[in-house]
Amino acid sequence: MYHLLRKLGFYLVALWAALTVNFAIPRMMPGDPVEIMLSKLGQKGPVTEDTREAIEALLGTGAGRPLWSQYRDYLAGLAHGDLGVSVVFFPAPVSTIIGQTLPWTIGLIGLATVISFLTGVGLGTLAGWKRGSWMDNLIPVTTMFQSVPYFWLALILLFLLGSVWPLFPLNGGYDVYEVTPGWTGEFLGSVVYYGTLPALTIIISSIGGWMLGMRNMMVSTLSEDYMLTAEAKGLRPGRIMRRYAARNAVLPSVSGFAISLGFVVAGSIVTEAVFSYPGIGSALLQAVGGNDYALMQGIFLIITLSVLGANLLVDLLYSVIDPRTRAQS
Amino acid sequence: MPFLPPRARRAATALAAVTLVLAACSSPDSDKTGKAGDSSITIFNGANGTIVENWNPFSPTQLQPTQGPLYEALFWYNVATEAERQPMLGTAAAWNADGTELTITTREGVKWSDGQPFSAKDVAFTFDLIMKNKAINATGLTLTSSVAKSDTTAVLTFKNKSFTDEASIVGYTPIIPEHVWSKIDDPAKTINQNPIGTGPFTLKTFSSQSYVLQKNPNYWQAGKPKIQNVRYISLATADAASAALTAGQVDWMSSFLPGLEQLLQNHKDLSYVNTPVLTASIFTCANKELGCTGPQTDTAVRQAIHHALNRDQLNKLAGGGFAATASPTLLLPERDKKWIADPSQVTIPGTPDVAKANQILDDGGWVKGADGIRTKNGQKLSLTIQTVTGWSDFISLNDAMAQQLKEVGIELKPTQLSWNEWNNNQVQGRYQLSLDSIGLGASANPYYTYQPKYATVTTAKVGEAAGTSGNYSRYSNPVVDRAVEIAAGTNDEAAQREQYTIIQKEITRDLPYIPIYVNSLLTEFNTSRATGWPTNENKYALPASWKVWDNGIVLATIEPVA
Repeated sequence: MYHLLRKLGFYLVALWAALTVNFAIPRMMPGDPVEIMLSKLGQKGPVTEDTREAIEALLGTGAGRPLWSQYRDYLAGLAHGDLGVSVVFFPAPVSTIIGQTLPWTIGLIGLATVISFLTGVGLGTLAGWKRGSWMDNLIPVTTMFQSVPYFWLALILLFLLGSVWPLFPLNGGYDVYEVTPGWTGEFLGSVVYYGTLPALTIIISSIGGWMLGMRNMMVSTLSEDYMLTAEAKGLRPGRIMRRYAARNAVLPSVSGFAISLGFVVAGSIVTEAVFSYPGIGSALLQAVGGNDYALMQGIFLIITLSVLGANLLVDLLYSVIDPRTRAQS
Repeated sequence: MPFLPPRARRAATALAAVTLVLAACSSPDSDKTGKAGDSSITIFNGANGTIVENWNPFSPTQLQPTQGPLYEALFWYNVATEAERQPMLGTAAAWNADGTELTITTREGVKWSDGQPFSAKDVAFTFDLIMKNKAINATGLTLTSSVAKSDTTAVLTFKNKSFTDEASIVGYTPIIPEHVWSKIDDPAKTINQNPIGTGPFTLKTFSSQSYVLQKNPNYWQAGKPKIQNVRYISLATADAASAALTAGQVDWMSSFLPGLEQLLQNHKDLSYVNTPVLTASIFTCANKELGCTGPQTDTAVRQAIHHALNRDQLNKLAGGGFAATASPTLLLPERDKKWIADPSQVTIPGTPDVAKANQILDDGGWVKGADGIRTKNGQKLSLTIQTVTGWSDFISLNDAMAQQLKEVGIELKPTQLSWNEWNNNQVQGRYQLSLDSIGLGASANPYYTYQPKYATVTTAKVGEAAGTSGNYSRYSNPVVDRAVEIAAGTNDEAAQREQYTIIQKEITRDLPYIPIYVNSLLTEFNTSRATGWPTNENKYALPASWKVWDNGIVLATIEPVA
């Protein structure tokens, strides 16, 4: 219990620190949001000096309020679950924009990460178990894909499978021409079809790491004395592989998985840019482009929460799968 | 797949088969032509990422088709070519002699898209709403009253002489229905989910990735529009846009696509039009008195740069050969010919005059050093020029200009910044040279170029924010200021032209903005589903797919292919 409370306390302090950094960083960027909105408007049509006053009146910024009171309002707003109003998408609240984009990102990147982890670890287990078999040849291939810059790999696959052999759609989250969003089989089918290629690129480019790590851990685990004992006792090979070797070998991969789960939200920017996917990464890009503090803070908050949340979960999970970590307390 | 074992090969084949079936199910746009009643086109207007619903025609974050396809103004100004303003909801607008009272005659027989009749009362209501809400008074009108004298006459009165606001009043103010907006509490903050306008289209469906407008059956121009559905989509990058165009998924977009001619060669349905209207120019922080520093504060240096540029070469290297010749008066040579007094100032020669540039610098006391770079009083003639990371044509421009200016002993150091920083530097005056474009004015009247860019009122000291899209050069010249003021005080074109002649004489000598060329504005069309797009011969509207107002004109004009 004490162990658990101490962990929770640590996470609370980490959360506060992250929130404060969240608040500070966007405000260090050059330019101010009113100016940027004005200049963007100026590119579309004429704006006058008075447009500034209109926009200041609109956004309620005007005379710069002291940072301290902005910080207080920020924390108070967070406590109420109020993330503020976006500037780039004014007058839409930040929570609406996050609600609109987050499911796409979690659906695509989250699933792809999980699939990549499970396949990578599974293949790594087999490769470690049957050392020297053909599966070892997979490892250089997959690590090569991992070392190729992701955006380049994604562009090439998009070009080949989207333009040259049009097996997959070129862009978007679903078929906007024919399908209306809703919980219908048609829509879900379209989402799956449109998500396949982006997911494939993520899996191809990340599977190598999981596989290599798992294989090497398997190899070193296999040389442990208890493996010999298990074999000497006459256990079935499948049971030895899964319960004795893999369970011990997977531990480092699990903590790696926690970290990559946490970065699901943040890591989607390039994928979304290449495939014009409607997720939270593109919203973050637009927020940065428009110095939209509220939206940036909102998205950073989601990233912070997901990283901390994933770590907490794995911390707790660890004490279940690895009894040694709870033995101390 | 020779390296896969048989089982894996079978699995891969099965996977490919599944995707093929899926592809067949979703049948991407193979049968989107067909009957006019069902005609549909797709537009990419530059939207990227998620789309957030906002149909408020007063909101700076409104979705682009709000102005034009959904809501209309009293008149419409075609800035693509030399043209009279075109009557839309208004049929006439006349000032009193003082320029403080504008009488507007409105069109009869117009209906809102919900079937209610439109009248001058709606016009009076619109301006009354603007008068009462500072937050939607984007053009800073000094209205004192707005009343409807009859069903077809509305009278606006102003505190100040407002001739120069005419374009923003009649051309850029969306007219809204009183019966809807009188019930809206805060006109600045509504997203106006169910837009009721007079435009050729109405909203059909919206999702965060695409929205569809459909034909307004009540539209006042008989027989228009001919297209039934218009879809807008969002794409993340220019690569995605170009792929979508060649795949036939987009009918109308405006992007600079490298190798455009080649790209379109293999697709007979695709065509493009080039309508250069934005003058790419070197902005200089020119005024020492307001705090600018660097050699560019010397007029001789700016003149030398102007003469040393080989613009034909720049067009070839950076403009893709699509750019048009600019005018030293910063107006458009073709469209604005009648406003340019001195015939020798209509266009800039494409070839450089290196001898003249050298002569100017020699006379100005800039002496060539051992390294070929000039100096004066120990100051090296070395300038930094900023542009935005990723603006590939401007980056090539900078590199090419650096080569060209070296020949006359000027060192140019290109830098690339994020858009925010670049913009902030211009607004604050913290730059030496900056590459930017002179934007679109409210109408073709040179006032909308000269007042914002050259008048003292739109500038500020270095370190303070200059007016928006304003006088970033910090230029301040009493002769120009007075001429701008006099031109603003009249709506007699001959009297205005006289003042513009004075301004042109000053600015072509001082060159606070050094024009390079009129940048291309390329718009690509797919003619397999709709025809009647603007062409080089018939620029009936600015064809750019991101332009407000003009969009409505184009969409009402094009016809579906039978």
